Amino acid sequence: MTRYLIRRLGQSVLTVFLTLSTVFILVRMAPGDPAAALAGPNPSTADLARIREQFGLDRGLLTQYGLFLRDLFTGDLGTSYSFHAPALDVVLDRVPYTITLSLSAIALTTVVAVPLGVWMARRADTKRELGANVLTIAGQSMPDFWIGVMLLTLFAVAVPVLPASGFTTWGGLILPTVTVAILQMALISRLVRREMVAALASPYVTVARSRGVSTRVLTWRYAMGNSAIPVLTALGTRFAAMLNGVVVVEVVFGWPGVGSLVVRALETRDYPLIQATVLVTAALAVLVQLLIDLAYPLLDPRVRLGKAA
Amino acid sequence: MSDPTSTPTSTPTGAPASGPLLEVEDLQIELITDRGVVRAVDGVGFTIAPGETVTIIGESGSGKSTTAMGLLRLLPEGLAVLSGTARIFGADVIADATAAGRIRGRGVSLIPQDPMTALSPVHTIGRQLGEALRLRHPGMSRADAREKGVELLGRVRIPRPETRWGAYPHQFSGGMLQRVLIAVALAAEPRLLVADEPTSALDVTVQAGVLDLLMELQERTGIGILMITHDLGVARLVSDRIHVMRDGRFVESGPVEQIVDHPRERYTRDLLAAVPTLGPWDETPAAAVTEEAL
Repeated sequence: MTRYLIRRLGQSVLTVFLTLSTVFILVRMAPGDPAAALAGPNPSTADLARIREQFGLDRGLLTQYGLFLRDLFTGDLGTSYSFHAPALDVVLDRVPYTITLSLSAIALTTVVAVPLGVWMARRADTKRELGANVLTIAGQSMPDFWIGVMLLTLFAVAVPVLPASGFTTWGGLILPTVTVAILQMALISRLVRREMVAALASPYVTVARSRGVSTRVLTWRYAMGNSAIPVLTALGTRFAAMLNGVVVVEVVFGWPGVGSLVVRALETRDYPLIQATVLVTAALAVLVQLLIDLAYPLLDPRVRLGKAA
Repeated sequence: MSDPTSTPTSTPTGAPASGPLLEVEDLQIELITDRGVVRAVDGVGFTIAPGETVTIIGESGSGKSTTAMGLLRLLPEGLAVLSGTARIFGADVIADATAAGRIRGRGVSLIPQDPMTALSPVHTIGRQLGEALRLRHPGMSRADAREKGVELLGRVRIPRPETRWGAYPHQFSGGMLQRVLIAVALAAEPRLLVADEPTSALDVTVQAGVLDLLMELQERTGIGILMITHDLGVARLVSDRIHVMRDGRFVESGPVEQIVDHPRERYTRDLLAAVPTLGPWDETPAAAVTEEAL
């Protein structure tokens, strides 16, 4: 178990490192010049050269990468060009907001999608289930920025009961959460339905019914117990994706999370900030994935490690 | 019609011990499939008395398993239409599906076809056996259920049952799992056991052990057994009476000796011919027939 954990941690670190290196090179290959973004209108060639020199952008790509790695191992990700502060600190200030929104959205997704999926599975192929099916397809098909703008129009403008932007009160969490969760609820409920239909048709459910096990226990203990792994994997993957920044939703609602930060960093070609964002979000995503993998043996004895039959 | 007062719904097992455990008359089962409505069972009737083993034998698709699952009302709701009468301990489970719900796990047990898929893979066998015991005796504590369950596992000859209580289904062989499932079936303290091809998924060497166990349990407790099989070897070993089923109907019925030794129907003779015989190799017609049937 310890060896497995060490190996998995090593893989995780490598994944983050490779992601970071790829982004380092790609942003420098992409069109756009941070110096031009920083210098203001009509800069002279000399101004641009001075700025490039100041940030070390006049050196070769490999040299820059070498210096970046040297600093990385001391925990220094450089200074953000636009915030004039350590890039990592700028990102870490935003992380709690993104985590709050992601946790809130995944919690709402879970409490709605799992019972809805189970409800649909129990009534598979009936007219009422068809109605729920149409709803989930609609939820899957609506773009999140559109949902966001509609919710804003309804609940912040037409009936102004919720704040339109920012995170000053807990009420400000509601609209972004719902916006993020609608698509996830649609996806997860359909997955839960599919898994539960298969599980409820399993021989072990019929045999358990033959010994008098109630429908409630058959559904929640037997079928859900056996559907837990794919459902948890999907929830974890969606959660990890949210941690990388729910970019569009954060921009629409002026949410001070990593997603809106990354947009600003890209607009200003703020290389250190982009790299710090990637490091933090990749580390979070890999951590979530690691936790899911570690949960597998708890959910399914057949993947239990180092414990032969 | 039976007197309803003789089968109080609270204790269906409290029905009089005399008289047949199971009486089936003109049972019809129609299955709704993608290709339309199929009459899987077409007017069969039989009875099982305490201590009796009645076998329904037939090839796959003959309707024998559908009959068994229909009697326990375990066919998918809305996809199976049942008619006729089937009285278990006097209560008609065709007219009243909830009557079947009341006796499942309390007096009637099922031994399923494939032991490898019949237990939830993510729960321990102790949990599933303990659950069956506590369903039968709602007041039973977990500790008592465990003690009783370990004893049951010992009765079906699971070696070192107390250490196996926390094991998962994938940690058992098929033969051992079928013994576990027999223990789970016994937790219901059944007076009627429905065995749906209990040995088909097992190695030949393991089959005999499982059948022996069933026969021994029957001798000791006097339960009635409905045996579903396609294997005349199994039927010959365990049955008192045999019904030969084909296309949803019984084509031949009678005591085991009559069916095995003097089959009237060609279909029955074909089933008989399909039984492999052990013995010295020679070129007698019997051996040739066996080979042909394989």
